[in-house]
Amino acid sequence: MIVIVDYGMGNLFSIQSAIRYLGAESIITSDRNIISTADRIILPGVGSFYRAMEHLHTTDLVKVLRESVIYGKIPILGICLGMQLMGLSSTEDGFREGLGLVDCLIERFDVQKSEGLKIPHVGFDTVTMTHKSRLFDGLDAQVDFYFTHSYRMKYTEQPYGVGICFHGEPFIAAFEKEHICGTQFHPEKSQTNGLLLLKNFIKNF
Amino acid sequence: MVKKRLIFTLLYNDGGFMLSRNFRLQRAGNIEWLKTNYDFKNIAFTIDELIILDVSRNERNIKRFCDHIKLIGEECFIPISAGGGITSPEHAKAILNSGADKLVVNSALYNKQDFIRELVSIYGSQCIIGSVDVKKQKNDFEIYIDNGSVKIELPLSEHIEHIISLGIGEIYINSMDKDGTGHGYMFDLLIKLNNITNVPIIIAGGAGNWHHLIDGLQHDIVDAVATANLFNFIGNGFPNARTQLLNSEINLAQWESKGFIELKNSLKRHVSS
Repeated sequence: MIVIVDYGMGNLFSIQSAIRYLGAESIITSDRNIISTADRIILPGVGSFYRAMEHLHTTDLVKVLRESVIYGKIPILGICLGMQLMGLSSTEDGFREGLGLVDCLIERFDVQKSEGLKIPHVGFDTVTMTHKSRLFDGLDAQVDFYFTHSYRMKYTEQPYGVGICFHGEPFIAAFEKEHICGTQFHPEKSQTNGLLLLKNFIKNF
Repeated sequence: MVKKRLIFTLLYNDGGFMLSRNFRLQRAGNIEWLKTNYDFKNIAFTIDELIILDVSRNERNIKRFCDHIKLIGEECFIPISAGGGITSPEHAKAILNSGADKLVVNSALYNKQDFIRELVSIYGSQCIIGSVDVKKQKNDFEIYIDNGSVKIELPLSEHIEHIISLGIGEIYINSMDKDGTGHGYMFDLLIKLNNITNVPIIIAGGAGNWHHLIDGLQHDIVDAVATANLFNFIGNGFPNARTQLLNSEINLAQWESKGFIELKNSLKRHVSS
């Protein structure tokens, strides 16, 4: 079963609709037993990193998510804030540690570097994939996705595949570290480009 | 660089979808008509964003409107903005829980400003679109609220400056004179918006063909063009318009629209094979 984690933050309905369009069923839940026995986990989220981590702690989901992904090797896709939560930490609304599934930091866009650019970064923008990737299978090397965010995963060179987007500076728009995936953009809001990526996550992992 | 956008606006009134001309409404059909006869997905698969406005002239039924947002959103994989008469946090929440990503506010920008500040603080600027309806009057524009029925006594530039200071994330500016005419956008408006640099601008009212869409998007200040006319881009009108815009080197997002047919239920085939 594909599990969409419900911890009280974000637009779960759209992700479920996109998966249903592709012909698969998913379940929206915060039940730890269902999450730990999932075939695939989708971690969505819109809003503040600090509050989201607080919700994950109060609903007791931090441990089950880490164990299911690290030891259970359950494939996971974090979307938007859900992707950021998989990093080491964020400075949004004060420093807060994330799930620590990837070695990345989340900070606000560097305003000086993004001079003349609008923050939040909202709209379709182009992502360039650095490595061959199961998640991006069948998509062009440069592909457009829908973004809406003010904080971003800082770009540092990674041993695994990352998708890079440029908004005043390069930032990590997607990553694929074995079975651990994340997208800063919304695949469920990116027409066929996003639907194909979601299909890849369900089919190729 | 963030792409420019092509937006379709659906006007909803008491269970039906409407044509509007100078803000006078005419019913085109219900949700079944929209999905089946009108084949709305042809449009949904070729635009960058969808806006759904509850322009009901009688009392609004929020739950019923939200049910319509859900039905449209089931097969619409782009950001959806919705609004019309939003006056309470519960109303806003109901809309967002129905699959909308952003809220459109209009009259409340004038008469419920603390509420707008509250929405901005809960959901962030990127979630709030400020909509402004205007009529040309000599060398300036008059602002109207409440579905274009009440004129407010403020100069346009002052109102715009003020709503930006409330924290809205985008401006949707609609010409009531051009609304539904198909005669092209009201470009005189852009002079009034010239000094706005940090908030994206969506222009609406008057687009009748793809040339008008290009005319709009060619202005640096215009981030998105919207049309609410159900019949000006009927059939393959939108797919063709998008192709023309891309050929004219307008910086729009690209995707394979034919892919929708292949992708539908493709995982079912994968599982059964």
